[in-house]
Amino acid sequence: MRFELTDDQVDLRDAVQALLEDLCPPEAVRSAWDGDGRVPSAWDALVEMGVLGALVPESAGGLGMTDEDVVPLLVECGRVGLPDPVAPSGYAAAAALTEALGDPAAAGSAAEWLGRIASGDVLIPVVDAAAPVVGAASADGFLWCAAEDAGPQVLVVAPDQVDLEPLQSVDGGRRPARVVRRGGEVLLTGDVARSVSVATADRLALGAAAELVGLGERMLDLTVGYVGERRQFGVPVGSFQAVKHQLADAALAVAFAGPLVSYAAHSMAHGDPDRSRHVSMAKLRASTAVRHAAAASLQCHGAIGYTVEYDLHLYMKRAWALSYEHGDPDAHRARLRDSLGLASGRN
Amino acid sequence: MNVVVCVKQIPDPADPGALDPETKTLVRSGKLILDESDSYGVEMALQLVDAAGGGEVTLVSMAPNDEQSGLRTALAMGAAKAVLVSDEALRGSDALTTAKVLAAAIGRTGQPDLVLTATESSDGYTGTVPEQIAELLSLPSVTFAKSIAVDGGTASVQRQTEAGYDDVQVPLPAVVSVTAGVVEPRYPSFKGIMAAKSKPLDQVTVADLGMDAGQVGWSGAGQEIVDVSEAEAREAGTIVEDDGEGHQKVVEFLAELKVI
Repeated sequence: MRFELTDDQVDLRDAVQALLEDLCPPEAVRSAWDGDGRVPSAWDALVEMGVLGALVPESAGGLGMTDEDVVPLLVECGRVGLPDPVAPSGYAAAAALTEALGDPAAAGSAAEWLGRIASGDVLIPVVDAAAPVVGAASADGFLWCAAEDAGPQVLVVAPDQVDLEPLQSVDGGRRPARVVRRGGEVLLTGDVARSVSVATADRLALGAAAELVGLGERMLDLTVGYVGERRQFGVPVGSFQAVKHQLADAALAVAFAGPLVSYAAHSMAHGDPDRSRHVSMAKLRASTAVRHAAAASLQCHGAIGYTVEYDLHLYMKRAWALSYEHGDPDAHRARLRDSLGLASGRN
Repeated sequence: MNVVVCVKQIPDPADPGALDPETKTLVRSGKLILDESDSYGVEMALQLVDAAGGGEVTLVSMAPNDEQSGLRTALAMGAAKAVLVSDEALRGSDALTTAKVLAAAIGRTGQPDLVLTATESSDGYTGTVPEQIAELLSLPSVTFAKSIAVDGGTASVQRQTEAGYDDVQVPLPAVVSVTAGVVEPRYPSFKGIMAAKSKPLDQVTVADLGMDAGQVGWSGAGQEIVDVSEAEAREAGTIVEDDGEGHQKVVEFLAELKVI
């Protein structure tokens, strides 16, 4: 594959980057901590720009783009710490519904929901009912991947068909909840439901990995800026080996995660038989690399990095949370090991 | 209603600028972007065309190295087409030459109802080009517009002043310079970005405009840059140790400045 973005992909990414720099500055992320975990001005502008409909087929009012086009945009969402559910709704749910368009019984509901997603309604996928669901409180619906006794099902569940139990998170910029389903409209069953459920879980993990890469780059940018200004013994602290080598190691780790994310997006877009493995490689590497970057950033900032008044914690806590969501490093390491047929051992 | 917007493509202000030591002009060899101060004119033009219920926005730009990036940005916002003047002979052109080139390029777009510009570019700051274009085209000119409303053959312009604004009526066609920050430039949509790649861009040379290469660039410039020097570094401030009378020092300092 070609790892470099095409000219079109660069233009779209740059447009999203410019929009988010304007509309999702640190103050907006900070205000999401005090509010409902959303940045409405950024969300509305992203809808207007076409980001939420990027993956939606043209026949359903979207732009018919692919994973390879959308994943670089999710990196930008991560870079600014956007708390809104672009990846779950505009990427994972939109891709699942696009699959559902192929099923005559499901096509009507799928097309309606795809149109709603492109218009800014939020459909949150739930692939693990036991796990916290981020953004549940402001969801317009849930795309529920259930393993029923009768076999796998994919359902569309309305907000009034669930009970929410709000949960605390280290990342106060988003609102996770435990969600208990009481009803729902069955969209898909059988093998199609099984494959859509797996692909949805993969895209949730890949979306988180993409956001993590953006967060890692942002934290390192912030830190390199800081250590270039902060002086001790008459020189910037960034000139000390103990600081610059640590940041170089972290930058290298994050830089190695980026191509894995791109490769996983390529695999998802092209239906590679090993796509789940590639997603696990991306999520595993992104999670560990960005946690490394977070730790290095925190240490190189010294005491100010620990304060909530300073911006670093906004990105660091998002990184911590995302590294555990949709499969923590151990879970993806185990899936990777199993897919390679390796014996179980130390993680 | 057809509106022409003059836009400049400039080095990205986020990157440190550099002067060519030989020509003493800004280095423009890298990628150029749409001058933010022009995005307000583009937005205002799009709004005026929408309000009129028909017509189109045409961009006119003069740039080195066939640069189109900034034009594509404005086309993605919704402008219909562009005229780009790019010619090695234009290197070193002064403000009046720039105005002559832009005026000739505007002539290629037909008879616009309105020509919009920024009040000044973010890299040149002469602030004279809009009025020079108006003079060259024999059109009335209004500067520092904070809003424009068109009714028939007349534009009502709120012209920003230090104290507030003047209401000015001007017959069309006219040249109006738009103050930065008076409208919120739209973000280009994905559809707009993709469509912009195939919108018509008429790239022309000095000769295509019927101008002589000897009249433009360094040879046509009525000015010469004889020297450039570093801006003086700000002096370090005075640190006053507060022994309980520090406020007196502050009062004395402000009194010296005649602030109090």
